[in-house]
Amino acid sequence: MAKLLPDNITKQVKEIFSNMEGSVKALLFKSEKNCDYCSTAEQMLKELSELETKISYEVHELDSEMAGKYSVELAPSTILLTPDGDDKGVRFLGIPAGHEFGSLLQNIVSFSKGAISELSAESIKRIETIDSPVDIKVFVTTTCPYCPKAVLTAHNIAMVNKNVTAYMVEANEFQELSKKYGVSSVPQIVINDKVTFVGAYPEGQFVDQVMKAV
Amino acid sequence: MSFFELGSAKKSDLKEYYDVAIIGGGPGGITAGIYAVQAGLKPIIVEKALDGGQINNTQSVENWTGFTSISGMELSEKMADHARAFDVPFTYAEVVDIETNGLEKAVVLDNGKRIKSRVIIVATGSNPRKLSVKGEEEFKGRGISYCATCDGHFFSDKHIAVIGGGNSALDESLYLSKMVSKITVIQNLPKLTADKLLQTKLNETGKVEYIYSSVVDSVEGDSQVRKVNIRNVDSGEITSLGVDGIFVFIGLIPNTSFLKGKLEMNEFGYIRADDFMETRTKGVYAIGDVREKEVRQIVTAAADGAIAIYHAARNYFND
Repeated sequence: MAKLLPDNITKQVKEIFSNMEGSVKALLFKSEKNCDYCSTAEQMLKELSELETKISYEVHELDSEMAGKYSVELAPSTILLTPDGDDKGVRFLGIPAGHEFGSLLQNIVSFSKGAISELSAESIKRIETIDSPVDIKVFVTTTCPYCPKAVLTAHNIAMVNKNVTAYMVEANEFQELSKKYGVSSVPQIVINDKVTFVGAYPEGQFVDQVMKAV
Repeated sequence: MSFFELGSAKKSDLKEYYDVAIIGGGPGGITAGIYAVQAGLKPIIVEKALDGGQINNTQSVENWTGFTSISGMELSEKMADHARAFDVPFTYAEVVDIETNGLEKAVVLDNGKRIKSRVIIVATGSNPRKLSVKGEEEFKGRGISYCATCDGHFFSDKHIAVIGGGNSALDESLYLSKMVSKITVIQNLPKLTADKLLQTKLNETGKVEYIYSSVVDSVEGDSQVRKVNIRNVDSGEITSLGVDGIFVFIGLIPNTSFLKGKLEMNEFGYIRADDFMETRTKGVYAIGDVREKEVRQIVTAAADGAIAIYHAARNYFND
């Protein structure tokens, strides 16, 4: 496959990665069939790992033991691990390209520092009280400039509490899922299949919605 | 758009104090940032979504001097790169409050952080105006959209209505015409107000029809939008049009709700400022689309930014 990252982007990505501390491993789950973007997603991780030695990646099939371990059912799925190998419940379903590329880069830098949530102390306190599983899906398109805010908020919520798993879902790649949840505007956020809202809410309001779904 | 957008990954480390806190990273805010650095001040730009702001939604800008035609996204990127070349720091968050009492002011972010500054420049621009009709809240996110680039993909080969007949409505229609099968433009006036050139381009797509002197009365559907009821403004007659989606581009409202009671505004929520862009609250400036003024253009927003910094530098940093 031809090189994906253009030179001007490569230069800026290197600069962003210069803020990394520890090593980050990405797990990519792919599938041989019905996966238009799996090879592109793999190529993207390959190029990122070539830019920065602190980044490595593993590729697993959807029917592998690892997929079972991390409860991965769709491809491509990307999971980041901290330098200690911790899974913080941060997930990308579909390729984090376009505006979501920035979300991926920020997550990588954040994971290199142990994935410490950047939410306010008040939000962290509220999220810490959650003691049952919470599933947050943030439906996005790669052309949506408001979506990274919602994705990053969701991912930072997941970093606080092991009970929370937060997915970026690229709506065009997973049309059945989008259809199931009636997605026609992004970002659309679905929490525990119970609470749904559209828009990049400020942090406090996003947390309000999460607490409503618990 | 590029396949790889870095967006807020380009954020700077946040310090506790800056000379000038600029709220909003559109053409006004970015220009203010550049002028601030050139005046020897330390600014920070706080942007909630995307460098450039609303101009990212414009397919082609043809009145920014020096560029015959440039896409709003490319211009945004060039502006932000220009500021970064002068070491203007950016941070990404929504501002939820400002503190304006005393010499030292503060900007409060939704992530709980607080930036102290001597001067605050409000450059928050505007957001799409809503229809305010029955069915709008119910079908928001279920067929009603305010962002063509975000949501256009969901309406491939579908029939949509575009509400509005100004430059932004037709510009967005042109973008949407690449994916949808048919567009019905609903305009409240007897004619379009968009530039002639844009009208010609849109008509050339062969996908558009127009309904004039009409406004949206209500929106109906089931799990998704199914029809829009349209009221003729002369006869009052209501007709129904079956559509799969509705894109609303009927102008903008200023982003000032978080400033209510803090700064003087007019009845529409635009901030009042003097000839130097300073509000009645000393040390707080308003520039660009958010300010009460006649002409809202990229070039006037940029000019506001320069004027505000000149005044602030002379009056608050002259020691």
